[in-house]
Amino acid sequence: MDGLSVGSLYALIALGYTMVYGVLQFINFAHGDIVMIGAWLSFWICARLGWAGNDAPPSLARAAATLLFAMVVCGTLGFLIERLAYRPLRSAPRLNILITAIGMSLLLENVGQLPIVFGTENQGMPGLLPKETLLSVAGVNITLIDVLIIGCSIALMAGLNHLVYSTRLGLAMRAASFDTKTASLMGVNINRTISLAFVIGAMLAAAAGFLYAVKYTNLNQPAFPTWILLGLTAFVAAVVGGIGNIRGAMIGGVLIGLLEKFGTAYVSSSFKEVYVFSILILVLLFKPTGILGSARVEKV
Amino acid sequence: MNASEDHIAAGAPLLDIRGLSLAFGGLKAVNEFSLALRPNALQGLIGPNGAGKTTVFNLITGVYRPDAGSILLAGRRLNGLKPHLIAEAGVARTFQNIRLFGDLSVFDNVCVACHLRTGRTPAAMTLAAPREDAPRHIAFRAARTGAHALLHMALTAHDLATVLLRTRRHLGEERAIRERALHLLSMFHLDHRKDELARNLPYGDQRRLEIARALATNPRVLLLDEPAAGMNTQEKRDLAGLIRRLRDEFRLTLLLIDHDVGLIMDICERITVLDYGQVIACGQPSEVQNDPKVIEAYLGEPMPHAE
Repeated sequence: MDGLSVGSLYALIALGYTMVYGVLQFINFAHGDIVMIGAWLSFWICARLGWAGNDAPPSLARAAATLLFAMVVCGTLGFLIERLAYRPLRSAPRLNILITAIGMSLLLENVGQLPIVFGTENQGMPGLLPKETLLSVAGVNITLIDVLIIGCSIALMAGLNHLVYSTRLGLAMRAASFDTKTASLMGVNINRTISLAFVIGAMLAAAAGFLYAVKYTNLNQPAFPTWILLGLTAFVAAVVGGIGNIRGAMIGGVLIGLLEKFGTAYVSSSFKEVYVFSILILVLLFKPTGILGSARVEKV
Repeated sequence: MNASEDHIAAGAPLLDIRGLSLAFGGLKAVNEFSLALRPNALQGLIGPNGAGKTTVFNLITGVYRPDAGSILLAGRRLNGLKPHLIAEAGVARTFQNIRLFGDLSVFDNVCVACHLRTGRTPAAMTLAAPREDAPRHIAFRAARTGAHALLHMALTAHDLATVLLRTRRHLGEERAIRERALHLLSMFHLDHRKDELARNLPYGDQRRLEIARALATNPRVLLLDEPAAGMNTQEKRDLAGLIRRLRDEFRLTLLLIDHDVGLIMDICERITVLDYGQVIACGQPSEVQNDPKVIEAYLGEPMPHAE
């Protein structure tokens, strides 16, 4: 159960990597930091509104409001990052934009550490949701929070699935991801489509950040390695599922989450990362395009 | 809109290209290219390999920016606009080497191009679109870029909101797109394959799908780049009929590149001949056919006379 809920978080984050890769063929390394910002923004708004005390009662409405806030702010942030940092480099060699992404990642971490932003102290996320165990089946505890995380992730992914596969924005996105130049000649506004991929990706990352904060409650300081690892693991999920493939990212995320948790429970928790990255190596060795990626044979 | 209709009524060309030039490094790919297309014209553009025909198409559709010259569509300047705005203005094209969205279904390929005609008002975008005509003060440029980014952000948010909130208008638009796409596909006898992936279609169907997709943008001018490439005689004959029909039914203005000079001579009213990026002849098929410069370009130096 834990694996499923963690896995759905990975899936949410992986979607952002995969969508941006789909349209731009570039790995947005700053994406993992959006998750961190999302989590911290959730904390920040709760603290601001006085919902942070330990005595504050759990409230679904407050949780929803926090989630919405984090998603909107991060969506804006995603838009700005693309507009200011990546767009000017659109025609530059791919390596430049990759390095910029790493720089953007460091920038977000360090700005996050500033005392006027989030500071360098670890914080405790208020319990917005009741810590109830709903069921205990065969030694498996099903907690309310896990159920909500999975439910929320499924709802978001269903929304994204609908957006991408049955609306004109999604169609424009898929066309642009196949052939940007031709799409623009057919009247697709490429800049808008790319912005949209960033905005949606950042919103999903913010949701993942919020859910993560609610689940683990202990918020590490913005530049702490857990955040980086969270982003990297989700990136692995995207690659395992087949980067550029939206449904692949969802499957990859859940798979990695389950693997990590089962490995932790049955073998050893100190090898948590080992499972994840060995899967990456295996996938890259035997099916480099990922589970749902299809190898494209170049016609001669 | 009225201004442009008046413009046409006055007998002016619909597409007016003057002095278009583009150099790649030292090579003048297109040099002082001029062309005037009257409404409903069917004009051919021919020339030996590497003469710059496709480059002209790329210039018109905004893939390249010209070094000099102007492209006017019904009096409105197109050069300097982004490709999607040029498509919006009413210029559509097909490609020499087929460029369908192979991973999308046949139906979706057409739907993508239908998006332009959903009654949205991009006038603000056009106004704010950065042009590089006149060097302006840096503060002015910064302010314009900022305004453009804000507008862009608002429109992105608006797009997302309409789709997520499933407004009635949005659902209506999506339905209109589907109906239009189906109508176009049935015109091209592709409706029975609409759910297949575009890349799995046979070659001839792919060529026709490209034309259907271009038409979905509801163009006024259609540029066809070697539509007959790889076709046999029968298919070419069908294509010639199709092109004539398109012009009449969609009231299109067509510019056509092909290597099959016979086909071009047969269906085009006027022909422009390009060699080394320059127009060497322009006129009716019979005039062009006998033009010594054209014969030279195609066959090499004329034989020295014995006189």
